[in-house]
Amino acid sequence: MSAASVPERGDHPTLPPAFAKALLALILFVAVPATLSGIGGGYLYQIATTALIFVILAASLNLVTGTAGLLSLGHAGFYGIGAYVAALLSTRLGASFLVTLPAAGAVAGAIGTLVALPTMRLVSIYFAVATLGIGEMIYVTLLNWTDFTRGPMGIRSIPDIEMLGWEPHSPMQQYLVVASVAAVSLWVLSRLTHSYFGNALRAVREDDQCASAMGLNVVHLKIVAFGASCCFAGIAGALLAHTANFISPDQFQFGESINILAMVVVGGLGSLPGAVIGALLLVILPEALRSVGDFRMIAIGSIMFFSILLLPKGLLGEASALSLLRRQFGEAWSGRPGPPVGWR
Amino acid sequence: MLDVYLAQQIVNGLSIGLVYALMAIGFTLIFGVLNVVNFAHGEVYMIGAFAGLMLITAAAPPLLAVVVIVLTVGAATGVGLERLAFKPFRRFRDEASLRSRAMREATLLSSLAVSIVTREAMRQIFGSSMQTIPQGYLLQHPIRIGVLSITDGDLIIFASSVVMLVALQFLLFRTRTGLSIRAVANSPLGAQFVGIDTDRAIMATFAIGSMLGATAGILVGLYTGTITPQMGFAPGIKAFVAMVMGGLSSIPGAVICALFLGVAESITTEFLASGWQDLVAYAFLIATLVFFPQGLFGVGRERA
Amino acid sequence: MSDAPMLEIRNVTRRFQGLTAVDGVTGHVAAHELVGLIGPNGAGKTTLFNLISGFIAPSEGEIRFEGRSLAGMRPHRIARLGIGRTFQNLRILPNMTVFDNVSIGALATFGHSAWQALMPGRRSRSGRISELTGDVLDQVRLSAQAGELAANLSYGRRKYLEIARALATRPKLLILDEPAAGLNESETAELGEFIRGLVRRGLTVLLVEHDMSLVMSICDRVIVLASGAKIADADPASVQRDPAVLDSYLGTRD
Repeated sequence: MSAASVPERGDHPTLPPAFAKALLALILFVAVPATLSGIGGGYLYQIATTALIFVILAASLNLVTGTAGLLSLGHAGFYGIGAYVAALLSTRLGASFLVTLPAAGAVAGAIGTLVALPTMRLVSIYFAVATLGIGEMIYVTLLNWTDFTRGPMGIRSIPDIEMLGWEPHSPMQQYLVVASVAAVSLWVLSRLTHSYFGNALRAVREDDQCASAMGLNVVHLKIVAFGASCCFAGIAGALLAHTANFISPDQFQFGESINILAMVVVGGLGSLPGAVIGALLLVILPEALRSVGDFRMIAIGSIMFFSILLLPKGLLGEASALSLLRRQFGEAWSGRPGPPVGWR
Repeated sequence: MLDVYLAQQIVNGLSIGLVYALMAIGFTLIFGVLNVVNFAHGEVYMIGAFAGLMLITAAAPPLLAVVVIVLTVGAATGVGLERLAFKPFRRFRDEASLRSRAMREATLLSSLAVSIVTREAMRQIFGSSMQTIPQGYLLQHPIRIGVLSITDGDLIIFASSVVMLVALQFLLFRTRTGLSIRAVANSPLGAQFVGIDTDRAIMATFAIGSMLGATAGILVGLYTGTITPQMGFAPGIKAFVAMVMGGLSSIPGAVICALFLGVAESITTEFLASGWQDLVAYAFLIATLVFFPQGLFGVGRERA
Repeated sequence: MSDAPMLEIRNVTRRFQGLTAVDGVTGHVAAHELVGLIGPNGAGKTTLFNLISGFIAPSEGEIRFEGRSLAGMRPHRIARLGIGRTFQNLRILPNMTVFDNVSIGALATFGHSAWQALMPGRRSRSGRISELTGDVLDQVRLSAQAGELAANLSYGRRKYLEIARALATRPKLLILDEPAAGLNESETAELGEFIRGLVRRGLTVLLVEHDMSLVMSICDRVIVLASGAKIADADPASVQRDPAVLDSYLGTRD
């Protein structure tokens, strides 16, 4: 019953779509670095980088849990797979970022797809628990396969981002690389979500029997959505590895999966802009309220609880988000006059 | 002839399994009535253990008194949990809403949130390191039965489990409350039509399930000697696995699978380095979900 | 193949643990026919529909579409072969727009894969999906509400939305599950006209209905089920006079 359930009428002034997109790019690549450098740089860039990594995680979880309706409680596991792939390839084989990034995504995506194949026919609650189990299995493996992963000691001295001999020489440069990866990831995720493919996922989410009767191969769609989301989780993991230079299994536990889920829930299940907002909020807010520190998980749990109770559609619910993408970003079909409908 | 050591492991496994069984029953009851997973069930177990510890350190009463009080605390926690994380999402009174997917997802997330907050709050209060149970209460006195060496803890767990199972059967099948619970589990709308107060039946279900869970918690605490705020997470998952393996709506099925899981875990600690044994439960979970979607015993719920 | 009727139901039986919902039913629907399926409650009509669309499999017998057996086919394959359907309880997606709802049907017609969403060529494919959706909305006269949330439609309009979505799958055979349920007389008549219009334009329709006036007025042929078995299969006028049919509906005279 929140206001988010009614799409906006045409009386909101909108900017030309190209302008809106340019504005976003400007904010991400110019305004943010300028501001951060202005007020201190250094640590602030780290926060910004972390925020962007979680934006990718939340947006990818949104694709599978929000849009496709498959509650996944093991997202952090694939984040971890990506991080370890990147860390191991760079520390043991000296691979460059141009190799580790796609490798992390590919391996995480492949494992995700493999895992999805047998479990996809399960009813939603079973599937959620299966993902929980898988996430835990990944964590236990990372923790105990010490020959390979060095177990609880983690992997240290992971090289910085290195591409064709170039390395970032300042936090800002590192931020710009991360921002580029985030921008591309968000573009891909947006194309997947705000398209007829996204509609197919939504149909599967709402009523998969009916979707089947309309000719949609439900199992195939679910597997693709899950695999894609795991792939981006892996990419986020690679970014973590190269920016924090140290990873350990306890960063990829169930708690982190819940963390990411909370971002999606707070933002609005099914809403990609909402997931972005949720991620930014839940990363930046605890930093801003420095006293939170230890109470972070309590705060996250409470925010999630009150969010579900009071704002079931989230800060920017799906219907509003889709409408926003059509009106403001021009993703609608332009074949007919009238309110923006369909997808480009 | 059964290797003595193996037999020993099996006995240990049965004890662990009984604990999982007590929790699994709680899950099954709640799932049967509301068709939802109570993610905070593991925390009820943990709270039972801590309540017992606080009571022991504060007043050092006899063991039976501890158990009785833990039962009460458990019931109260269960009802509180239901009021907080489940009731607010049962906004409407029609069947479609009582079992709707939206409600199930909302309560899954809300119970998840409550479990996180509870776990973290306890961690803040008590710290994450282990608390030890005072010597006098530990159930670790060895008893020899033939070639096997078990502890009085094993016997007490066994005895109390049996007592609680019998009491549960009695409650479910010989009392009005039990009848109303079974009615609501069968058909929430139908139960309302015949005048059963579904709200109270649901509260009763949570109370009973949580009593069992809390008792399991304190028993484990006394048996192993240490408790931590994180102790509820893994057993919760394993109890859930047992419930799923048992067919979701079958209490006997859940109990048998819980025992099986406990024994399997106990035996595999022999062959796998410690740390990997949690994997056993998860592997069984995945295998069950994939190969036996109906569960091994019950008629699994299709799409509800 | 051209001689075979479009849909053939050959001695189909379906049992559920002690209940025989469909009992040795044999029937057919020929191309461009408008066939009605009637019978008292519990006669097995919805079960038969679910058998045709592939949600459940026959215990015995087989169903053929355009000469091809549907045995073992999953629902989405059957839908792509050309059988579209609506549901009795209106399974539209309330939180999506009218346009998006209908587009679901169009997705399978043109393809909707993830790669297509990303590739540059997508524009033409999305465009075709959009156009088909727009055309179907015109056909059911819902274009004006294309941007509204489906939840905001009136009951009557939702019926047409459900049909529109099925039409977007560009079916050869359209099976309608109680399309007139809940409609008043004039709405029912309008719906009847609409369905006849679909058939005139080349579609084949099989519909389940309780509303006798609708069935008798628009159908070319009527199949009657009772207790899972077929008890009549003839033109409307004959069926209305058939003693077995009158028996099953009204009971024996006392």
